[in-house]
Amino acid sequence: MTAHGHLRRRWAALAVSVIAASTTCAGDEPAPREAFITNQSGQSLSIVDLATFKVTDEIKIGGRPAGIALSSDGKLAFVTAPEGNELVIVDAITRQIIKRVMMSGGPLGIATHPSTGMVYVADLYAHKISVVDPDAGAVTAEVAVGESPSGVAVTPDGALVLSADRDSNEVSLIDTKMNERIGRVPVGERPFGVTISADGRRAYTANVGSNDVSVIDIAGRMVIATIPVGRRPYAVALSGGRAFVTNQYANTLSVIDTGTLKVVKTLAVGDYPEGIAADPARSYVYVACWFDNVLMRIDTAKLAVAGEVEVGDGPRAFGLFLR
Amino acid sequence: MVRTVALAFMIIALLPVTALAHGSTRQKLTETVEINASPDKVWEVIGNFNDMSWHPAVAKLEGGDNMVDATRVLTLQSGGTITEKLIKYDADNKSYKYEITDVDVKVLPVKNYSSTLSIKGEGDKSTVEWKGAFYRGYMNNNPPPELSDEAAVKAVKGVYRGGLDALKEKVEAGG
Repeated sequence: MTAHGHLRRRWAALAVSVIAASTTCAGDEPAPREAFITNQSGQSLSIVDLATFKVTDEIKIGGRPAGIALSSDGKLAFVTAPEGNELVIVDAITRQIIKRVMMSGGPLGIATHPSTGMVYVADLYAHKISVVDPDAGAVTAEVAVGESPSGVAVTPDGALVLSADRDSNEVSLIDTKMNERIGRVPVGERPFGVTISADGRRAYTANVGSNDVSVIDIAGRMVIATIPVGRRPYAVALSGGRAFVTNQYANTLSVIDTGTLKVVKTLAVGDYPEGIAADPARSYVYVACWFDNVLMRIDTAKLAVAGEVEVGDGPRAFGLFLR
Repeated sequence: MVRTVALAFMIIALLPVTALAHGSTRQKLTETVEINASPDKVWEVIGNFNDMSWHPAVAKLEGGDNMVDATRVLTLQSGGTITEKLIKYDADNKSYKYEITDVDVKVLPVKNYSSTLSIKGEGDKSTVEWKGAFYRGYMNNNPPPELSDEAAVKAVKGVYRGGLDALKEKVEAGG
């Protein structure tokens, strides 16, 4: 990593922390411009312009891509290709693949650190989180976690990485300075996606096996609520005091009030809704519907579908896919 | 960090080779048939989760009703059984969704299978759509040919085509 790169990342991190500190109300966060959608069956990455809501580019990836994350400055996209056993690094501006980093088992969930730029990749079959330095294009550390880690998320302050260890029914807490697991929290059955609130206090897991969401108090390292949702929940997005949960088998989103921790509405969406990400600035969440090959836009104020765009075949978009 | 890396490499060295398997990815399949009959007429034949007499591969069905969570056990002409659970039933939109809760991969080489059967159309024209999402029968790397992605898709396609084509014939012949 270059000194210049370090500096840029620090500035970006500072900007992010200032934004995080000043926003609980939607509106002052910069609105994302694009969605990067992994198409597992089509083996590509569709880039959707959010202003026109049209696909502008489709990049061939290979290896049945699933996980997606973007650098905090939005310049790099990181894609996991489980069947190719690779982390694919894409220049988000030029749309070129920069590097393919060989991983050790079945890379799936992925998240980036807000200030160091390090990339955390959950390995479903090797039961660990790999830490990748994107500048070096190399794995610099590996952290043993529970069985079959799926989703990963980094706290806004960058101190912790959380992994949803699907087959252990636990969430691991990893200290990013030491790269060591420092805690584990039992959750519902088969946690898949994990999402952390903007204030860094809570995490939400979508539990595929028990059809519910576990709400974790991160500091207390305990589950403070378990909320029943639809069948086979996949992932959670947070926006405007609500949590939106994709239910793969129910073809719905469960909308949870994060204050009362109750489901306030269940919204019909496309078939097999999976990856979900929030744009709080414009009061939208975006949902990739795996079977229908569409990215749906949901108005979080009206709680209604506000449009859809056709993407590649089998979109999963597992991760924070907006930039 | 150096220590962590060293530790991690020790852990890798201790892992069995199977840990390097990357597993399978979910497959999907959609088959349709056009039928010269009204959607209501077609729904009369297939709208009951407890009746699969329209499918030539099904010899016997034991089951519940059209309430979500109802379970049916299909006995196939070949002798194998498939247990399925209703997970969504929408009579207004002539659609229902179910999952397989128990099947031997020798009977149908799939895992984590879910499926939706639905009818669209107007007047005397209907389109019946049968969609499935499933993994191959062997979840790990290097599946034997009979448990590959291709084998799973081929088997499910056979079930759907066999059912849809027979349904068309039955309905158009007057039910």
